[in-house]
Amino acid sequence: MGASTESNVEIRVLGLGSEILADDAFGILAAREVKRLFPRQVEVVCSSSAGFGLLEDVLGASHLMVVDTIVTGHAKPGTIYVFSVDRLQMPPGGSPHFVGLCEVLALARKLHLATPEQTTVIAVEASDCTTVGGPIHPDVRLAIPAVVELIGRLLRHGPSRRAARA
Amino acid sequence: MVSTRRVTIDPITRLEGHGKIEIFLDDQGNVDRAFFQVPELRGFEKFAQGRPAEDMPQITSRICGVCPTAHHMASTKALDALYQVTPPPAARKIRELVYATFLVEDHALHFYFLGGPDFIVGPQAPAAERNVLGVIAKVGVETGQKVIAMRRKLRELMALAAGKAAHPVFGLPGGVAKPLSGEDAARFREVADEAIEFACFTLNLFEKIVLGNSSYVELILSDAFTHRTYYMGLVDEKNQLTFYDGRMRILAPDGHEWATFRPEKYLDHIAEHTEPWTYMKFCYLKGLTWKGFCEGQESGVYCVAPLARLNVADGMATPLAHEAYLKFHGTLGGRPVHHTLANHWARVVEMLYAAERMKELAHDPELTSPVVRTLPTAVPREGVGVVEAPRGTLFHHYHTDERGVITAANLIVATQNNAARIALSVEKAAKKLITGGNVPEGLLNMVEMAFRAYDPCLGCATHSLPGSMPLLVRVRNPRGSPLTTLRRDADGSIHRE
Repeated sequence: MGASTESNVEIRVLGLGSEILADDAFGILAAREVKRLFPRQVEVVCSSSAGFGLLEDVLGASHLMVVDTIVTGHAKPGTIYVFSVDRLQMPPGGSPHFVGLCEVLALARKLHLATPEQTTVIAVEASDCTTVGGPIHPDVRLAIPAVVELIGRLLRHGPSRRAARA
Repeated sequence: MVSTRRVTIDPITRLEGHGKIEIFLDDQGNVDRAFFQVPELRGFEKFAQGRPAEDMPQITSRICGVCPTAHHMASTKALDALYQVTPPPAARKIRELVYATFLVEDHALHFYFLGGPDFIVGPQAPAAERNVLGVIAKVGVETGQKVIAMRRKLRELMALAAGKAAHPVFGLPGGVAKPLSGEDAARFREVADEAIEFACFTLNLFEKIVLGNSSYVELILSDAFTHRTYYMGLVDEKNQLTFYDGRMRILAPDGHEWATFRPEKYLDHIAEHTEPWTYMKFCYLKGLTWKGFCEGQESGVYCVAPLARLNVADGMATPLAHEAYLKFHGTLGGRPVHHTLANHWARVVEMLYAAERMKELAHDPELTSPVVRTLPTAVPREGVGVVEAPRGTLFHHYHTDERGVITAANLIVATQNNAARIALSVEKAAKKLITGGNVPEGLLNMVEMAFRAYDPCLGCATHSLPGSMPLLVRVRNPRGSPLTTLRRDADGSIHRE
């Protein structure tokens, strides 16, 4: 995984998901493609962890780009969302099993750990993330090159000053 | 169910694996029945068929982002059984050491950051404070940092012995992939001492914050969170708690031993009930048959996880944890304890046991033996592996052809074991609050508390991003049209539409 607690990486792409759970493979596949195309510009980490298991993966980078699937149920599979994690608020309650990225980042910040200055979420609407060995929806698969291109653009004209210098 | 009204509570935009609560109202608008639905992982059996069995420890550890180590271990043990091979003593001890290390880490995370909002921050605290930041505000930044530092050390140890911290790769049929060096064992000994100190610190903190507050204790003991059910868990030859290996033991609601059996016989004791309205299956005790969602001596509803384990065990195999075990049962009225929220306390007692067990194993001279593999030679046919996962008993069961290629596979995860009891808890909370069709806003927190104590696996997917609408209650008429909607937003505000 390679993540440390000191901010020693400019930009990290964090691909989340599980390769064996249908559309859930998206984040991992897209992150691998980023690694192939931009090996020197960015550190790529793939993780199948959830909740606080993600803590190490989010620490030690100035700009974190999280690539993941999302199931809002309000958009077609393959729809791409890009937003800053600041837009997500930490929900109260919910299942203790499903601590999210916001909680992990909020905790890291509160404990003075090496939290990213900026976290961008690139999420793709998925249709099925619970069928073991299930196929990836064609429209979700089609979103891979689009998201990789998007990350390439962000790397060239990064929204953060530090990212832009990289 | 056609004649009933239906309330749905759905943490709708949590990414992945959300749970859903269905509440059915009768014609008078009172709660008829309530259920907690867990999204089922589909296709596992089909996916497993045709694959080499030895791939399963790696594959199954990828289906859950929360407790991959438990799946890896249960799967590896199923392979031992499949190939009828007994790992050498050092291999068994390395496995158990890694597993104890994982348990300390997972239980610590749960207590402080996952269960903490309910117990450290407090059940009556405003919703907006009942999160991890509220926990840090209460215990202090220094304690938070201590938890993170402990966790880092424990994960380093897991990576040392198991290849990777998050997804171990060391389990093989008949043993483990590599022996443990003297240097590695020394590091385990060092961290084990710190882990014991940390667990004692946590137990003291629990006693100070929770037991020192009479309203918390009243809540634990309250009828709203009490169910007289059966309990199941693994025990060793002395009927003491064990996470890694042993016999299954079932305790009746009145405290007598109802059954004890070897894990491979689980299908003789556990059956699954289905309901027409959900794909979910509810485990129950076969010998008692399915009598519905009810508690008591005649009902087959049972429970797993920390509270169940402390109930089925006659004691703990390590001194400090045993002392804590005696205090737990002494304070809560003796075995079995039927108070669901006592799971949080039981978890800390277990954390102390796991830390002490780490120390015992790390000092065992056999641990560093270079002999860590017994090569399988028998023709494989069928194997069952079981461990006590942090959230309860986990079964892996494989059938193969003579080449070791899977022909059938079955998993029972902790939440399936607990499903019927969780439904009882949600129903009790809902009955207390909904009358005459009136669905008050407090319902959201109460039902949430009811299922949080079990820490249910809400689908084994791995996602992390929360949405902006964690809970939604829909009240529907008998024809399914929504009558009203109760929604709690991300900032904790509640809206009725």
